[in-house]
Amino acid sequence: MPHSLRPAERGAGAFGESILLIGPGAALLIGAFLFPVGQILVLSIVPPEEGLSIWTNFARFFEDDYYLRVAWRTFRLSVIITLVTAMIGFPLAYVVARTPRVVGYTLLLLTVLPLMTSVVVRTFGWIIALGRGGPVADLLSLAGLGARDATLLHTETGIVIAMVQVLLPFMTLTTLGVISTIHPHLEEASRTMGAGFYRTLRHVVLPLSVPGLVSGSLLVFALSISSFVTPNLVGGVRLPVMAGAIYQQATSTLDWNFAAAQSTLLLAAVLGLLIPYLALTRRRHG
Amino acid sequence: MVKRFPASALIGGGFILLLILVFMLLPLAIVAAASVTAGSFLTFPPQGFSLRWYGEVLASTAYLGAARTSLILATAVTASSVVIGTAAAIALHRRVLPGTSVLAALFLSPLVLPTIIFGIGLLIVASIYFGGPSLVALWVGHTVITVPYIVRTVAAVLSDADPQIEEAARTMGARPLQRLWFVVLPQARAGIIAGGFFAFNVSFDEAVVALFLRSPGVETLPMRIYGQLEFSPTPAVAAVSTLMILLTIVLIVAIERFLGLRRVAG
Repeated sequence: MPHSLRPAERGAGAFGESILLIGPGAALLIGAFLFPVGQILVLSIVPPEEGLSIWTNFARFFEDDYYLRVAWRTFRLSVIITLVTAMIGFPLAYVVARTPRVVGYTLLLLTVLPLMTSVVVRTFGWIIALGRGGPVADLLSLAGLGARDATLLHTETGIVIAMVQVLLPFMTLTTLGVISTIHPHLEEASRTMGAGFYRTLRHVVLPLSVPGLVSGSLLVFALSISSFVTPNLVGGVRLPVMAGAIYQQATSTLDWNFAAAQSTLLLAAVLGLLIPYLALTRRRHG
Repeated sequence: MVKRFPASALIGGGFILLLILVFMLLPLAIVAAASVTAGSFLTFPPQGFSLRWYGEVLASTAYLGAARTSLILATAVTASSVVIGTAAAIALHRRVLPGTSVLAALFLSPLVLPTIIFGIGLLIVASIYFGGPSLVALWVGHTVITVPYIVRTVAAVLSDADPQIEEAARTMGARPLQRLWFVVLPQARAGIIAGGFFAFNVSFDEAVVALFLRSPGVETLPMRIYGQLEFSPTPAVAAVSTLMILLTIVLIVAIERFLGLRRVAG
């Protein structure tokens, strides 16, 4: 968005014109985006029977071992996924930022291609790769890490591998945004003062990349706790995550109020992560 | 003068990069490889080479019907979100309205809010007020999640455009609609086209909102693939998936030609 105001355009005609231009979009987003999300909040406090407390649906979640286990699995897996993504995403972003433009650009394109293919197609690839006789399982047995006939389908390891691939572009792009603002002169200064390449990377580049890594991690964590297609298909019914459980309740058991209560909890967690994320990225752009 | 990158970093870095690229492209490559098997089961590596599963897909009314639904949906979504998104981007770009930054945040928020939350909200609203989910509800839902892409691409192009041209048109006596049609829209052209390809790609590939708004008689390709993956997928699913990957590549090349991905991503 530009930050300049152009006074010549601030007449009464320009105002009416802008209202007309933004009207359809604003109506769409209020009616078909804010209103549905608001409906979730309303339904979540409607108790299953009249006279019960508005917290009934939430209490049901916190009193049931099953849902707490699902929430704990979702949290634990998302932490692991975020850490792995950050560890792979940082070197990748650094290389994209510091290699010749053409090379970095090609790398970026190859990272974005999977991001733009359908999540069901990517997950399908992982189902074959992680399944019995697939290349990943074979590789693990070659390395002596698994039985000959091993499968990573329906395991938490499998979920993590597939999710890292799905979410890596988000980490790379966010970190890249910060690394490309670090002036190469800072690295050159450190190097001419006698620090080696790795020492410079550790003590100059890494600390300066922290805002990017933090906002990338917030984004990846938020996306991770709310994913259901990949965890459902790779993890199967034995390893439900929160978003998968919500999907089941909303579409199969049709328990909307309880599904809405869980969505509200998920929404609160996501907003708690995304508000600092937006604040961080905006400060950088602004 | 010090060497910028030591040999160990170049070799190690190159190796890590190669691993990451293999990792990123692996699932797509595997799907493509599995689709050309001559055997009857999904295996990797494939057994022999044949295009029989592509033939199977092209003869299947279920897949053709789903492809038709996806194409109609994505086309309608592209049309509606291009019109709505371009108009909104122009208004946001002019910064005449009070609270423009709040409005800009509203228009980009469907990008950051997880689609599962939007999906369940839309399902609830469609069921309570509109007698259940339908293709129209899916159209509205996809328009909401694709409008931000158009707003972003059009705004990016407009912020590089010369504002003096519109000013010149104004002083020369061009009316608002004429300025819009002959100056602003041509200036925004690359962003509109690239955003349109984005919208088409997102809608064609979208699974989450589609799964929530599942209704009898409405099945898009991602919905059908998801359904197959829940049970036992055949190589035909791999063939359909490969066709979808190819379509995505075509669309990426198109976006790249009109705008450059780096500007959209950054």
